[in-house]
Amino acid sequence: MPGDSDETRLAAMIAQCVAELLTELKVPAERLTGARQPPLVGESIAAFCGFGNNELRGSFTLLGSSKLFSRLHPMAPSVTPRDLTDWACELANQSVGRFRNRMFTYGVRLAPSLPQSALAEQLLLSSSFQPNRTPISFSIEGMVLEGWFDVEMQPGFQLAKNPSEEEAIVLNEGGMLIF
Amino acid sequence: MSKKTILIVDDSLTVRQQVAVTLKSAGYQTVEARDGKEGVEAVRAHAEIAMVLCDLSMPCMNGLEFIETIKGDAAGPPVPVVMLTTDGAPDLIARAKRAGAKGWIVKPFQTELLLAAVRRIAGDPG
Repeated sequence: MPGDSDETRLAAMIAQCVAELLTELKVPAERLTGARQPPLVGESIAAFCGFGNNELRGSFTLLGSSKLFSRLHPMAPSVTPRDLTDWACELANQSVGRFRNRMFTYGVRLAPSLPQSALAEQLLLSSSFQPNRTPISFSIEGMVLEGWFDVEMQPGFQLAKNPSEEEAIVLNEGGMLIF
Repeated sequence: MSKKTILIVDDSLTVRQQVAVTLKSAGYQTVEARDGKEGVEAVRAHAEIAMVLCDLSMPCMNGLEFIETIKGDAAGPPVPVVMLTTDGAPDLIARAKRAGAKGWIVKPFQTELLLAAVRRIAGDPG
């Protein structure tokens, strides 16, 4: 939206990326607004993937119950806890991958980190980026997929108003080139 | 006649499983590696590998380093590699092409496109 801060625009961009990814996975998901705290009972999984360059750095975190990640897993129902944490990593990785591809169209190249995940009872999230943390959550068949987008920008960084036509030739998700 | 063998190099177990299920359902055999370093070992150990599907960002050795390494190993034409990654940036695609990659697919992959790429590069499963 015109007048939105860069933080807000970036958060909206990654929220759109997650929504697109869930749609491609054929998962019915509804965006939730506002900060939510997932229930602390039962086994939960958190997956993290970072990104950055000299002007901007941050991370995207996904948090949800093991039951939710089991629902999202393409090989369900025959999955182990290791499968679930691996898939949670891949979902964080693919969410950030889409975000990086969108950012590239604005002329911003971001390097990714390798995704990491954790599985535990009563999992709590904490971040040193807390002031710039934006919740991005989805309701999926009565369960909550919690997302946290953390970003920190150097003074002077400004996201272009529109994608650059020169940079807009990113190969989209699902696309293929044979040389 | 034995089936064609495709090497899948990806640090995600789930992605390797997804790709393997897709390829096996089409009649191919698969070998899996968790990173570029394991992938190089697999290429050296399995002369029958007809093609590699390789992630870009992996621990130990990334996909571009993997291509460079197996290209240096090969006495004849190196085994063809198609990148399978979340990245779609044109400069990375150009780098992979210069390094010798034969194609680029952006995850999540579409089953039919993946199989079309494999058939085109590795041929029918045999």
